[in-house]
Amino acid sequence: MLLLIAPAAVVLVCFQIIPILVGMNASFRDWSLVNPLKTWVGLSQYVAVFTDPVFLKIVLPNTFILMVSSVSVSLVLGLGLASLLNKSFFGRPLVRTVILLPLTIAPVITATMIRWSFNDQFGVITTFLAYLGLPEVAWLSDRWPSFTLVILTDIWIWAPWFTIILLAALQGLPPEQFEAAKIDAATPWRTFIHVTLPMLRPVITVCVLIRSIDAFRTFDQVYILTGGGPARSTEVFSVYVYVQAFVNLDFGRGAAAAGAGAIIMLLVGVGLYRLVNRTMVRSR
Amino acid sequence: MSIETGIRRTLALTGILACAAVASPARAETTLNVCYINHPVQVANVAILEKWAAKQGIKINKTLTSYSVYLPKITQMLSSGATDQCDIVWNNDDWGQDLAQYLEPLDDVTNARNAAEGQLEPFHNADGKTTAVSITTTAGILFYRTDLIPEADLPKTWADLVKISQKLQTEKKVKWGYVGGMSYTNTFFSFWWTLWNNNCDIYGPAYERDNKKLAASGWKPMIDSTCQIQTAEFWWDALNKDKISPPGMTTYSRDEANAIFQAGDSAFTVADTTFLGTFNNPEKSTVAGKVGIARFPEGPMSTGGRTWIDIWGWSIPKTIPDDRKVAAKKLLGAMLSDADGQIEQWNQTGGPPPNTEVWATLEKNDAGWRKLYDILFKSAHVHDAYYFRNWSTVHKIYSDTMIRAMKGSRADIPQVLKASVDAIQAGAATK
Repeated sequence: MLLLIAPAAVVLVCFQIIPILVGMNASFRDWSLVNPLKTWVGLSQYVAVFTDPVFLKIVLPNTFILMVSSVSVSLVLGLGLASLLNKSFFGRPLVRTVILLPLTIAPVITATMIRWSFNDQFGVITTFLAYLGLPEVAWLSDRWPSFTLVILTDIWIWAPWFTIILLAALQGLPPEQFEAAKIDAATPWRTFIHVTLPMLRPVITVCVLIRSIDAFRTFDQVYILTGGGPARSTEVFSVYVYVQAFVNLDFGRGAAAAGAGAIIMLLVGVGLYRLVNRTMVRSR
Repeated sequence: MSIETGIRRTLALTGILACAAVASPARAETTLNVCYINHPVQVANVAILEKWAAKQGIKINKTLTSYSVYLPKITQMLSSGATDQCDIVWNNDDWGQDLAQYLEPLDDVTNARNAAEGQLEPFHNADGKTTAVSITTTAGILFYRTDLIPEADLPKTWADLVKISQKLQTEKKVKWGYVGGMSYTNTFFSFWWTLWNNNCDIYGPAYERDNKKLAASGWKPMIDSTCQIQTAEFWWDALNKDKISPPGMTTYSRDEANAIFQAGDSAFTVADTTFLGTFNNPEKSTVAGKVGIARFPEGPMSTGGRTWIDIWGWSIPKTIPDDRKVAAKKLLGAMLSDADGQIEQWNQTGGPPPNTEVWATLEKNDAGWRKLYDILFKSAHVHDAYYFRNWSTVHKIYSDTMIRAMKGSRADIPQVLKASVDAIQAGAATK
């Protein structure tokens, strides 16, 4: 049995456990990329991160706003699309393929497309909005418009993921409950609220858990669209780590920031796990 | 000679030849990995290296890296002592001091020291030896549309720049008066050229780059000084009140700014001279053939125009094997001795030849060079970076502060700038 899991275990140790240990080791040291002294500095890197006003007042709020808004809107959209695709209609396979397309494109490419679409001089969307006579919006140079774009891009990428998983769940639901609801003359909406949603709850909870953890470490979209700007106002956790490690070339501080994020995510994850367990128990 | 003797001698000769062949195998081809970014002047210089590599029996592997990851990638490679990734690396004065300890001294490369005065200093190691040889001198310059602005009417001051821009915008000849990169690492093309032409700098005393002298002055940030506030107010007005620049310019890199200028939507821009070739390339620019170069307009506190000139160079990691070091040095020496190749680089890109001895040829034959030389080299200079460990951090703090000032109200500018004094001073103190 041990031999069977050995290949996976070796990969896990080499590419997950060891890098994490190296990173954690770096977070306790003075580890500049230019001059890696690697002297032990205890918790001072963590103290610096947790007392950094940018981390506390901008990075963490932005990260949680992105996480909550992207996951919740993607879930609602995904659920709606999955319900739509669960019905048979002409061209359903084509619609299903088109809806899934954003998921097949690398987030970097999607973000680059969005960046150019909203470019203030050459952007297709900005030009179209101007053609309609709408007031000009500095989409990428003001905090909230640019952060809204980040959230919308994340939703664009991930709503299809919710769709495909929830569609699979919908198609696996037993038909008896729906037939009973029909006999009781329940409206489609009441059937959805009182039959479909409760049966989907375990799947939804797992989806939300996985996506929340994933959304916490979002990097590509933010880095490409705003780079964390203007003036760090749209910086999220992963971009903060990147700035510390690869702009300031301070691996020690960058590793501590990553460690701080892991601690925060661990707390959030434990909360979400408890929620999952409670939901599972309730739905059994 | 009998047949038997003939056969014996033939066999003996064959044996000797075979032994000789085994004893001295065909010389293996040396391969050099050149690591750089996709910038026109670097591409042009690599073409010279390739030409000489072919003559010297060297194979060149070209490793192009994105600008945004180049520095961390190369720094990690050098500080970890890797020997198998890059044999020749692009080096920039901004980080030349940081990397010098990991780089091979290059004083023995032919013509290595034929650079403009003071230009190799940022690449000096602890022994005062240069760790880079020049690719070109990078310098910002004001580009303008010759079809819209007569040379006699070129702006001398910031106020002139606004006036001319607004006139051209009102006449619908251009959408914008001025575009330039403004986001982090593009600070040179907006905030800094104006700063340096308003008798101002990041630390006082202005234009000083000797760390000892700066330390003696307490690394005093100038970000809350009057000259800096004027600079910020000029850009705030350009973006928000005078509207000579696009409001989204705070996010522009040089690529976006260049694209607007090349599309014919702006009358002026500031960019490296190395983009002159791109601006005048009809395949890439709608304003090709209508692009002139000029001095920077000066601010109200200016005591004379000032340009930044700095070298982009090639360096060789200390850790690579000796045979590759020798080959790389020979190749760089050949590039620095190739006058025709360097003149071709100038003609293609607008990047000055790396060997200053070649400048004399251009001085005689090239009116464009004489004009550029007059603008760039016959004025006062400033290095475009400071040379301490946390300079990139300070640069980012400065950039974020200025962009924050651009996005707030005009009245708040002094307060926003003052808020960064401690961070900028601390950045230098932790060098």
